[in-house]
Amino acid sequence: MLRTFTFYEVWLLILAARWTIILSLAAFVCGGSVGIVVAIARIAPYRALRYLMSGYIQFVQAIPVLMLLLLFYFGLNLFGIRVDAWSAAVLAFTLSTSAFLAEIWRGCLQAVPSGQWDAARSLGLNFGRTLLLIILPQAVRMALPPTVGYMVQVVKGTSLAALIGFTELAKAGTQINTITFEPVLVFGTVAAIYFLICWPLSMLSRHLEKQLRVGRMQIPAM
Amino acid sequence: MDGPLNYTFQFGTVMDRFPELLAGAAMTIRLSAVTMVFGLLIGLVCSIGKVYGPRPVRWLVSSYVEFIRNTPFLIQLYFVFFALPNFGLRLSPDASAVIAMVVNLGAYSAEIVRAGVEAVPEGQIEAGRALGLRRLQIIRFLIVFPALKAVYPALTSQFILVLLGSSIVSAIAAEELTAVANTINSQTFRSFEIYTVVTIMYVAIVFAFRAIFTSIYAFTFARRG
Amino acid sequence: MLIRRVAGFLLGLAVLAGAGLSATTGQAQTVDEIIKRGKVVIAIDTTVPPYGMMDASNQPTGIDVEVANLIGKNLKVPVELVTVNSPGRIPALLSNRVDMVVAIFSITAERALQVSFSIPYAGQSAVLIAPKTTNIKGPDDLKGLKVGVTRGALEDGALTQLNPQGMTLLRFDDGPSVAQAMLSGQIDAMGGGDYGEIYLRKGAKGEEFEQKFPLRAAHFGIGIRRGNPDLLQWLNTFVYQIKNSGELDALSRKYRNNAPMIPLPVF
Repeated sequence: MLRTFTFYEVWLLILAARWTIILSLAAFVCGGSVGIVVAIARIAPYRALRYLMSGYIQFVQAIPVLMLLLLFYFGLNLFGIRVDAWSAAVLAFTLSTSAFLAEIWRGCLQAVPSGQWDAARSLGLNFGRTLLLIILPQAVRMALPPTVGYMVQVVKGTSLAALIGFTELAKAGTQINTITFEPVLVFGTVAAIYFLICWPLSMLSRHLEKQLRVGRMQIPAM
Repeated sequence: MDGPLNYTFQFGTVMDRFPELLAGAAMTIRLSAVTMVFGLLIGLVCSIGKVYGPRPVRWLVSSYVEFIRNTPFLIQLYFVFFALPNFGLRLSPDASAVIAMVVNLGAYSAEIVRAGVEAVPEGQIEAGRALGLRRLQIIRFLIVFPALKAVYPALTSQFILVLLGSSIVSAIAAEELTAVANTINSQTFRSFEIYTVVTIMYVAIVFAFRAIFTSIYAFTFARRG
Repeated sequence: MLIRRVAGFLLGLAVLAGAGLSATTGQAQTVDEIIKRGKVVIAIDTTVPPYGMMDASNQPTGIDVEVANLIGKNLKVPVELVTVNSPGRIPALLSNRVDMVVAIFSITAERALQVSFSIPYAGQSAVLIAPKTTNIKGPDDLKGLKVGVTRGALEDGALTQLNPQGMTLLRFDDGPSVAQAMLSGQIDAMGGGDYGEIYLRKGAKGEEFEQKFPLRAAHFGIGIRRGNPDLLQWLNTFVYQIKNSGELDALSRKYRNNAPMIPLPVF
């Protein structure tokens, strides 16, 4: 039960980091799917829909992610819905990620010069076709740097799943610290592993920004 | 027992403990406000150092910023609370929370403000020197003020994130709103009610802060500069 | 056109969510149903030595874990262990995620409003733990001290009710957080289970820990959903048997420093 901090512990932490990566990918894929829908709806030519989506984004962005985790983990349980820590985490991160990605992507969609929309209309294309054929390809270019940058936030955000008992890297860290009690070594290693995952993504985002020579977009982050 | 949706909601149980929730909310706001002030100060100092400082300073600031921005806040918090005592620095939960939050915000605001500081034209500073302004005055009026105005939206977005991030300090037993919610939940088990109420409280606090930030802009920046 | 597609997509999501809502119903679970299903799902807590903890190869072990395995052995089905934390025990039952809870589940009348308990299979005192060098004999000596507890646990209830003057109570999310706080000196004392502190390392300054005084005694029962008299009766029979056969006492000696199992009341 009581051990010293050796390379075996480092290995256990690296193993736990698998879950961090899997959770991040799940959050990104699910959150992205919802987010793109919301982003498109946000610029759709129907005022009620735009306001609804704007409200959704504003509301979700005002809830702490930890609160979403707790709400889904404990709250849904009492409706008889089977929710374990993994499902609660995926649901909570999907919701949060969808709102933030929707905002980022909306900005990119709107940054495409409005002349493009007019030109498309004069060619007889409707909203949907214009979006698909003309706007999205250009917006995607612009969206790459902030999206990759936001991935960093998603990875860091998964650490909160520890607080509802999901064993990813942060939780593994506290468990191992209890067994070995070497907080400097344990949390230092945990921080280093996160850094090794996140820093390349940050660098990539910056590199893409320079490569594609797009304007700087501020990414919401903590 | 009850099947799905057969559950009887009892918001009364939660509302009975509303004073505790309010106290938690007050703590959340206090922690966040203090963090915003000191975090911004650090950010200002760092950003000026990064743009105008000598190379060692620039390197130091970059390392600080990169480390904080690429590691989770929760881990930074754990480090301050559980690991610093090993170095002889034992801080209470509240103090640890503030230190971790300030250090965290400092790194992010350093990046944000730096964009604004870089945008200040060289000519403006030279003009200031030519007019005989002292160094501190140049910094205050010709660098800090325009920079803050330029990056105000990004900065206040980050401040809102500080507010939301304060919920994480519940993990080291600081009695802010999320911690109070967890305590009430562990005693009454009325999870859905308690977390719904607290979610609404957070949204209300955030909307209030957003409004305050907008008015600050109107008062400070919109009339001058 | 696009708007119709979007609306359809959202509607589809809503339908799926709705289906998810009604997917699980609180059907009564008898012993036969569990056996027919082919496995029994039991919730445990791995952060509470010596009842639930992780061993050197990161597998769950402890008195609770062994009792859970004994349940499976006697039902002749494999056991699926689900790890929960302290506040997550009742929700895990109510949402049908697990069949029963064996996780230092203290028997209280308030909890019995939401779940049913078997007769006790073990018991523990919540005690106050502090460094050997400190002189704490009773609640009054806690004045001016910072005491850590696990939120909602037995020691939390006891200390909150005692409310000694001048004491600062710090509530942490789980056992490991309290332990880390104690070891790093962030708190002066902690509430915990008896025999839990022998598993604590020496602290940051090399100090060792010991129990100071008991806070509250409680007995642990196996928790199940209310309205399952058949399962409850089987579990009571099961507990009676492992008490009688000496298996329970053997577990106590194995994990609690050779101490015999305490006398367990029945109800």
